[in-house]
Amino acid sequence: MSAVNIRNVSKAFNEGKPNQVDALRDVNLEVQQGEFVSLIGPSGCGKSTLLRLIANLLEPSSGEVSVNGKSAVQARLDQDYGMAFQQAGLFDWRTVRKNIELPLELKGWEKPDRRARADEMLQLVQLPEFGDHYPWQLSGGMQQRIAIARALAAHPPLLLMDEPFGALDEMTREYMQGELLRICAATGTTVVFVTHSIPEAVYLSNRVVVMSPRPGRITKVVDVALGADRTEDTRNRTPFFEAITAVREGLRGMHAAHVGMGNDDR
Amino acid sequence: MNKFGGSLGTWLGKVLPAVVFGALFLGFWEWAVKFFELKPYFLTAPSAIWEQFVKNFPLIRGAATVSGTNALVGLVAGTVLGVAMSFVLSRFKFLNQIITPLAVALNAVPIFVLVAVLNNMYSITSEVPRRIMVALVVYFIVLVNVARGLTQVSSTHVELMRSYAASDVAILRKVRIPNAIPFLFVSLKIAAPAAVITAFVSEYFGGSQNGLGSRISSNIANSKNAAGWAYVLGACLLGLLFYSFSVVMEGLNRKGRAR
Repeated sequence: MSAVNIRNVSKAFNEGKPNQVDALRDVNLEVQQGEFVSLIGPSGCGKSTLLRLIANLLEPSSGEVSVNGKSAVQARLDQDYGMAFQQAGLFDWRTVRKNIELPLELKGWEKPDRRARADEMLQLVQLPEFGDHYPWQLSGGMQQRIAIARALAAHPPLLLMDEPFGALDEMTREYMQGELLRICAATGTTVVFVTHSIPEAVYLSNRVVVMSPRPGRITKVVDVALGADRTEDTRNRTPFFEAITAVREGLRGMHAAHVGMGNDDR
Repeated sequence: MNKFGGSLGTWLGKVLPAVVFGALFLGFWEWAVKFFELKPYFLTAPSAIWEQFVKNFPLIRGAATVSGTNALVGLVAGTVLGVAMSFVLSRFKFLNQIITPLAVALNAVPIFVLVAVLNNMYSITSEVPRRIMVALVVYFIVLVNVARGLTQVSSTHVELMRSYAASDVAILRKVRIPNAIPFLFVSLKIAAPAAVITAFVSEYFGGSQNGLGSRISSNIANSKNAAGWAYVLGACLLGLLFYSFSVVMEGLNRKGRAR
């Protein structure tokens, strides 16, 4: 059973109106259990829309999305995935521990169980001493680690991430990438990851899905042969650069087709 | 980080300039009245006002209790109604589009004149019209602010809650209400002084001559200027009391959130 299966999915906004936007057209993608897949492409290529279709925060105009062999709706109702956004989105009025406990609260867990799991998650993201702090007392990178801890608190098999490191500086960003790989290896979580950054996509992923805009579609899928154990040294090795080149060529191919698209690396 | 636990020195540093300025201002006032031999009907000296304030203190306190009770009852009723209505508005967006412009427009006109109409509905000695007036003013201030707090929540928070398959009730309890609480305290900070002012002004439209507002006008009308000013002083103190209370409440709320 695949973790995510997207079949012939199209999504249009303002359907049937003069200002109709074809955000996605005829997208097919299958993500295996335990796989790390990144979606990359310029603004407007529909990568965030695709992530929200998997999350069932949006409904497709046509086609089917299934998650863990269920419909996307059912998977959301069962909390089969956790989600992290560009903004950590922590609640200022809750302590760090209470933030991590939120999805468990909504599932109706008992207080001692919630607390035990929150402490386990704090250990996982290596911030055990910050449970009683408030989010605004933490740095951006720490907040994002708490957001990941919250997303994984219910031990979902799937993690959906929408540019989670987009607001972080380069140093913190690379550190967070290493942390994410370590956490995923420890938990066996499948990840679908939206990003603007080519090195980030390559460093993290088993496969990088290159998308292009107007209408949003998948133009290329790059397999990254870097193996399971990725360290800082991985960034200096030839296969890393080869994969970066392959992704860049995929993006450039569409650049030639859309003159003036501009590069989208922030 | 800790706004409230500053040392005595910094506290003095903040308060001292205001105290010095106030003392200088009063001194200048006293001096100007003596030096230019200003007539009491034009301007009364602070010393004369203070003398009247002390002499009439039981009466002023009684009048302040009447006005203060009106303001307090109206403030509580208006806040309760405003909060209740803001929940209805945040639930039914179309009502929001109808009511919010109305609320904003009503804030722009001096709606205390309505008290004249309300006076006709109740007996001439009733305090109810004044309390309704205060409640009405407070109601719109609280309504507009709290409704904003309930609806202006971060889109990331809403998406996050939907990803947890949270019900609307859960989103209300875990996101909208906590988000609206600071808005409530801000609205109280505006509404508390407005409640006192409305309580005074509504006394100018007839009814019992028992509150601070009516005593000010009757004393001035009888050329008892210093006594009139003494009641003004009482009114200032009552207004300050309400305002300080709302500031302390907001401070406690912030401390509760450790922010």
